[in-house]
Amino acid sequence: MILTQTQYRRQILDSTGFFGSYGGCFVPEVLLPNLQEMALAFDAIKSDAAFLAEYTQTLQQFSGRPTPLTPLPRLSAALGGARLFLKNEGLNHTGAHKINHCIGQVLLAKRLGKTRIIAETGAGQHGYATAAVCARLGLDCTVYMGLKDYERQRPNVYWMELLGARVIAVEAGEQTLNDAVIAAFKDWVAHPEETYYLLGSAVGPHPYPAMNTFFQKIVGEEIRSQCLELNGRLPDACVACVGGGSNALGMFFDFLDAEQVRLIGVEAGGRGTSPGTHAAKVLHGLPGIFEGYHSYFLQDGDGNIAATHSVSAGLDYCGVSPILAWLADVGRVEFATAGDAEALDAVQTLARTEGIIPALESAHAFAHAFKLAAEMPPDAIIVVNASGRGEKDLFITMQHFQPESLRRYAAGLL
Amino acid sequence: MRPACFNSTGMHPQKNPLLPIMGHLVLGYPTLAESIRTAERYVRAGLAILELQIPFSHPTADGPVITEACRRAVEQKVTVPDCLEAIRTLREKFPEQEMMVMSYVNRVYAYGFDRFYREMERLGVRHVIIPDLPCQPHPQPLPPGGGESDLVTPHALAIEMKNYSAGKPPSPRGEGLGLGSQVAILAANTPSSRLNQLLAAGYDFFYLMSDFKITGSTFSLHPGLQDMAARIKAHDQQNRVGIGFGIETPEQVLAVLEVADYAIIGSALIRAQQEARLDNYLEKLKKVLTPATFPV
Repeated sequence: MILTQTQYRRQILDSTGFFGSYGGCFVPEVLLPNLQEMALAFDAIKSDAAFLAEYTQTLQQFSGRPTPLTPLPRLSAALGGARLFLKNEGLNHTGAHKINHCIGQVLLAKRLGKTRIIAETGAGQHGYATAAVCARLGLDCTVYMGLKDYERQRPNVYWMELLGARVIAVEAGEQTLNDAVIAAFKDWVAHPEETYYLLGSAVGPHPYPAMNTFFQKIVGEEIRSQCLELNGRLPDACVACVGGGSNALGMFFDFLDAEQVRLIGVEAGGRGTSPGTHAAKVLHGLPGIFEGYHSYFLQDGDGNIAATHSVSAGLDYCGVSPILAWLADVGRVEFATAGDAEALDAVQTLARTEGIIPALESAHAFAHAFKLAAEMPPDAIIVVNASGRGEKDLFITMQHFQPESLRRYAAGLL
Repeated sequence: MRPACFNSTGMHPQKNPLLPIMGHLVLGYPTLAESIRTAERYVRAGLAILELQIPFSHPTADGPVITEACRRAVEQKVTVPDCLEAIRTLREKFPEQEMMVMSYVNRVYAYGFDRFYREMERLGVRHVIIPDLPCQPHPQPLPPGGGESDLVTPHALAIEMKNYSAGKPPSPRGEGLGLGSQVAILAANTPSSRLNQLLAAGYDFFYLMSDFKITGSTFSLHPGLQDMAARIKAHDQQNRVGIGFGIETPEQVLAVLEVADYAIIGSALIRAQQEARLDNYLEKLKKVLTPATFPV
């Protein structure tokens, strides 16, 4: 059943933390005062014209919004189906959509009088954006990153450090995003008073899922007006990759009440469907309560969290936004997967036909959109959220496409 | 000052003076059988309370020692039923021993809240410690006549949480069913309004974090805890207070017992066991906590 936008707004942005039975605030008591303070501040800024003006102005002046909606005619012709467009969030400063909620949250942290920002990061995009915004607004910044991600996303580690952030490689567990989240929570437990934890997706305890959706929904709002301007109507489908869900919710929120617009989240299919080889939570996970929220998690049947895999660090995470879990259950958002190999192919296809190199995360959305386009009529419109640009993946994609060239380059550097 | 636990454990202090210590271990570490033997050593050393942790793949509030112990136990595929069986073994051997069970919420959720709490009742476990389940959300009391294991659904949990956010009081136990009580884990930043709310709701065991940190960190005692412990006791003398996180030396134990009924020791006990000096460590604790120190 489709609700009105007012109802969606009430259920998601103005909720007390529950989306259906998902969400909540399952954290140690020591964190509750901070989260309650944050939730109150979030409630206040939602309708605070001065705050929202500063947020919008910073997005325009610092990050370059609005980002364009780009038609993809050569690719569409090659696929022989629907007309494809991409929302180029990769043209944001620091290269991805993450900066939208970083600007919002750092402004909120300043309002709360916090002096130190901590964040976790997977692909490094959220950490990079956090470091840049902290530098610009004058706050101390520490970023936690799983060791595996730290190694495979070296360029972003370097940028964060150049921006003055302290990057801490987390050696615990799988050494990916999940472990970075836990390390950041532990830091917060140890420094609850002066520290603001800038969580980087629409996951975690209340108010993060609603708050990050609020700060990301500008993406969908821009798509709506740009698509109307270009085509005189709304798209038939919006496609976004889903790790935690921030770029997907940013894209989808403004279309929730538009019944004719299919909303499709694409999860990381990795290299198979057996446990530990993918990161498809909605399609293969079970309900659970972890890292502060109730949602779908990849886990064994006995309540332990399972290992995940994706070629893209940003999707390599065990949980999914409780808002998306709810929207999946009520049938408003569809889910699909794209695997490692399909994502890598999509990077090359988009690069060669349209001159745009997407992040590996976003490439999952493209891989699925290519299949979808071929099934839809030529007058149909599909918008894909290019949540980030692909430069950060240099060493991963080069290893795949030109391993010998990479080897020679690395040897030459040494 | 004499720790209140000497009278509140139901034991006769004259006959069997228990050490005012809650000793923690991870079930299944290094093996399930070995963890049962460790628990037996804790009991024989006279620790007032056993804290038995169900291992979890991602113990978000624990430090490196307990995290590693959990990892090893999870690797061996120690299940929740395995842990319950181990607790049953201990309960049969030590019918009077106070035991608390600690678990991260997802393992309890996967097992089923009501089913888990019923097991706790059967095992004579009167308190559970779930660090990532704040005190508000607690399994709903089952409707009369209901007895199936899946009655407490996440949806019921959600409704319960919504009730709290709407200002309805928390319920620390499933009334009428004798279900296990939840231990309230608080820190020095817990607002006094919140503490009052929990006291009024009937929580009776308070686990205070020694300072803002994770388990196994360097010890320090936040100055605000003294007042907090006093308020908890003033509300009801039967309320009990334990302080944990980072406690290792006998001196630290004594400092904690100035403020609380129990010192809660986790990582230090596990380290002692790893380094094959557990009996020695327990003996050291015993020595400083003889009845001479706390005359009955």
